[in-house]
Amino acid sequence: MEEVVKVESVTKAYGALLAVDQVSLSVKRGTAFGLLGANGAGKSTTIECILGTKRADDGTVSVLALNPRKDRRSLFQQVGVQFQECGYQPEIRVSELCEETACLYKAPADWKGLCEQFGIGDKTGTPVKSLSGGERQRLFIVLALIPKPQVVFLDELTTGLDARARRGVWKILKELKDGGLTIFLTSHFMDEVEALCDEICILQKGRAVFYGTVAQAKEKSGCENFEDAYLKLSGEGIE
Amino acid sequence: MKAFYTLLKNELKLNIRNMNMVIFAVILPLVVLVILGFLYGTKPASDGADYTFLEQSIGALCAISVCAGGLMGLPLVVAEYRERKILKRFQVTPVSPAMLLAVEFLIYVIYSLVSLITLLLVSGLAWGVHLRGSWGEFAGSWLLTVLSTLSIGMMVGGVAKNAKSASVIACVLYFPMLIFSGATLPFEVMPEIMQKVISVFPLTQGIQLMKSAFLGLAVEPLGLPIIVMLCVTLTCSGIAIKCFKWE
Repeated sequence: MEEVVKVESVTKAYGALLAVDQVSLSVKRGTAFGLLGANGAGKSTTIECILGTKRADDGTVSVLALNPRKDRRSLFQQVGVQFQECGYQPEIRVSELCEETACLYKAPADWKGLCEQFGIGDKTGTPVKSLSGGERQRLFIVLALIPKPQVVFLDELTTGLDARARRGVWKILKELKDGGLTIFLTSHFMDEVEALCDEICILQKGRAVFYGTVAQAKEKSGCENFEDAYLKLSGEGIE
Repeated sequence: MKAFYTLLKNELKLNIRNMNMVIFAVILPLVVLVILGFLYGTKPASDGADYTFLEQSIGALCAISVCAGGLMGLPLVVAEYRERKILKRFQVTPVSPAMLLAVEFLIYVIYSLVSLITLLLVSGLAWGVHLRGSWGEFAGSWLLTVLSTLSIGMMVGGVAKNAKSASVIACVLYFPMLIFSGATLPFEVMPEIMQKVISVFPLTQGIQLMKSAFLGLAVEPLGLPIIVMLCVTLTCSGIAIKCFKWE
């Protein structure tokens, strides 16, 4: 199967702090990949090195066989991104933010339909700053899907969502994945990772300490429950 | 083109919603005009001059708006978008930095244009102010003033570390230029020594050029004002695009 995201021994340091240390991974088309780890383990830095918003000190990255720094403009026609912290203009409304995003792509998705699908269809006239945390999070997932991407990067995708909304998001993402979308996500919710991800990588202080499927993680750690397995493998301890 | 138009429409709407520029770039110059109008009415600029004081001041009044947009509005919006990570969101889309800068640039050109039109209309209707030179020369000098001032602002927004330092730099440029370049205090009433010092501001050159063009005084095609403003425009916009930072 075609490798959509290919990362080879990427390293990134901030001064003396080694944020990402020799991380390699590969994501195949139509699969979901989960990057896990405690706060500060290097997940966001890894994503930013993959997207080219941060320059890796060492190693190579290719997404859809393109170099994210050199081929930025053609790559991001086909890639959707939701950052953990997403900036928006102070007075902007939902419809304006969607419109402003959609106009940048050659063949964007219908953003009104996406807003309906994610349960914020009645909020399009609302200022983004007046949305609740969960609504705003869903809006940013909508923005990441507006490009009709081949691969989507979602950094902490369901943070701030209630249980029902999370299930709804999972269902939509699974359908999109069945339609061929490749998903790269980070999450702190192990039930979510178990429900969505085909492969995972656990980072600890910038190093990959586990790489494989959820089943393999359980097997390797000897834990029945995936959250226990994650805690054991990531060295955080179960207590 | 569609992307450019949509971005321009949205950004303009957001900018108007914010009201700052409506006040400083459109209403403020009008207020100054009305005050001057009541003070001087249709009096000639000096004894025996064949143009009025107001006609002499039109160029300076136009510059108030250019100054507000170029030295306050533009640098602050670019620096704020960087600090709020809005530019970072654009970085992972296919948009080019040049298009984003062009959209913001054009917004302040529009404010300056609206201000120019309202000033000409009000001064014309109320105090009979009319252009004595050529429209072409006046439009050309106005455009050059706008381009050179806005490119300074674009450079400041581009190189400032954060919104705070952008606003400090903006203030340092805005207030001296607004007060001393002849935009609010008429250049003609300042002592001669001061006139010499403030001639280094591109805005001073722009105002003198607009004044000459409006009054029909001779404009040298490649005189000092034009050269100063062209150099400032090219240098500053070059630096702004070259040093553009998403984050």
